[in-house]
Amino acid sequence: MKAKVIKLGWSVMYFVAGMLLLLGMWDMVSRITKGEIPSPLATWDTFKEVMKDPFQNEPDYKGIGIKLLSSLARVGIGFGLGSLVAIPLGFLLGSSRIMMNIINPIMQILRPVSPLAWFPLGLAIFQDSPKASIFMIFICSLWPTLINTSFGVSNIPQDHKNVGKAFGFSVWKYIIRIMLPYSLPHIFTGLRLSIGVAWMVIVAGEMLSGGIGLGYFVWEEGFNGGSVGKILVAILIIGAVGLLLDRLFTSLQKRFTYAV
Amino acid sequence: MRSSAITTTQNIADSILQPVLTPSTAIDIKNVTVSFKTAKGSYTAVKEISLSVQKGEIISLIGHSGCGKSTLMGTISGMVKPTAGDVTANGKPVMGPGPDRGIVFQNYSLLPWLTVYRNIYEAVDAALKDLSKGEKKELVERNLKSVHLWDHKDKLPGQLSGGMKQRVAIARAFAINPSILLLDEPFGALDALTKSNMHVELLKLWNLDNREKTIVMVTHDVEEAIFLSDRVVVMNNGPAATIKEIVSVPLDRPRNKRDIVHDPVYMNIHDKLLSLLIDKFSIDDIKD
Ligand SMILES: Nc1ncnc2c1ncn2[C@@H]1O[C@H](COP(=O)(O)OP(=O)(O)OP(=O)(O)O)[C@@H](O)[C@H]1O
Ligand SMILES: [Mg+2]
Repeated sequence: MKAKVIKLGWSVMYFVAGMLLLLGMWDMVSRITKGEIPSPLATWDTFKEVMKDPFQNEPDYKGIGIKLLSSLARVGIGFGLGSLVAIPLGFLLGSSRIMMNIINPIMQILRPVSPLAWFPLGLAIFQDSPKASIFMIFICSLWPTLINTSFGVSNIPQDHKNVGKAFGFSVWKYIIRIMLPYSLPHIFTGLRLSIGVAWMVIVAGEMLSGGIGLGYFVWEEGFNGGSVGKILVAILIIGAVGLLLDRLFTSLQKRFTYAV
Repeated sequence: MRSSAITTTQNIADSILQPVLTPSTAIDIKNVTVSFKTAKGSYTAVKEISLSVQKGEIISLIGHSGCGKSTLMGTISGMVKPTAGDVTANGKPVMGPGPDRGIVFQNYSLLPWLTVYRNIYEAVDAALKDLSKGEKKELVERNLKSVHLWDHKDKLPGQLSGGMKQRVAIARAFAINPSILLLDEPFGALDALTKSNMHVELLKLWNLDNREKTIVMVTHDVEEAIFLSDRVVVMNNGPAATIKEIVSVPLDRPRNKRDIVHDPVYMNIHDKLLSLLIDKFSIDDIKD
């Protein structure tokens, strides 16, 4: 108990030290650029201004909270659809050498394609830019989950498979009682990587697609509006939300990892 | 003309006799060879083994570690495919594992994410599809109680001792109540007292079935082998292990553990088995 408190104390100290270092460097850059990059304090003022009415929902102006939520919703839909495809497909590839050999080359070609390259394709297919950005999220959140899931499934120990064989498990029982629980930690690793990619890509996507979202906020109100302060505020919000998403998936992963 | 008539009669006689002969044979191993592909080429574990086990018989396999006992068991369960030869179980060629042959694996093979209860329930649920949910639950409860693990039913395998895991694996195999029971060192991790209790449970199960259940068991324990078995199969050392000798145990049942040790027949068999096993030690010593 005591050791835990001390450990926590130390990690808080390290966090504070890191933040101070960041603020210090930021302040220095601000001085060197003579305020072209606003100082932390000036940015704080911008932050307060941006946060004044986060859920303001006028037809012509949406608050930052609404923008954040709509970005999150797009990520959620694209990521959700991607996972719904990636997990079952990962089961298939992980349990069949032949399928893996067939699909692997396709995966190798498509995976390194920049997510942004998918955007115009999505636009051509759906004729709708929010749908195109969801499509983009979908494609790029497929790969990490697919690869990790199939890796997990292809490594199921013979002992576990033998149980299924010896007692005549049906395919369905084998999937939910052996394949899924064994590969769950791997699936969560994949999901965590996928959500990270998806969150990174949504900002770029929204810059292309426009509409309501954090990406468009950075572009329109930050860059076009000539407010570097707003760009910085958006960067900080994007970073913080990304961190929270990562933490969320880490804790899910821990929860679902069985004790061997 | 005449000779063909005789042949026909012979054939008819054969076909009449066949069904009478086969049902009493539960397991028939014919010229089975198992070779494994390894990095250094092929490794023959067991070679041209033939063994026939009658319905209701209890057989023990003994032999030194690595001689191929688990491999031979695997060919009966269907987990291991023979490189050559055939295995028949319950009159049907073994093509793969099936719930008519229950297995207690040497390494327990419990699913680490399921509780003790669920480990058994899922197996019962898969193997005995026709039972109602209530009957399945009743079966799980009865078998968990018979191995004294009911109080531990909600634990995960990772929270159990080796002996407890072994008892879960035993309860799981017993719950399915297969006509052929294959036990790979089922009592190896148990203390003497628990082991004795398990012997009683095993024989109870066997008696319940009018002694029609066929049991093949791997063990390193000579006393256990004699106490439980009708025949003890002693294997040679590998590679390319064969059966060295089959020793019959003509002791009446029910056997009393305390009494039979003084029986001259028992002592004879005990000596014989030990010398068969130790004989191998001395050969090894000379080789080294
Ligand atoms: N899958 C496999 N691949 C390669 N070699 C194997 C495989 N399974 C078993 N063997 C080899 O076959 C031989 C017999 O193994 P087996 O497990 O049947 O021995 P065992 O008699 O059951 O030993 P123990 O008493 O230690 O359990 C060993 O030399 C082993 O290395
Ligand atoms: Mg073995």
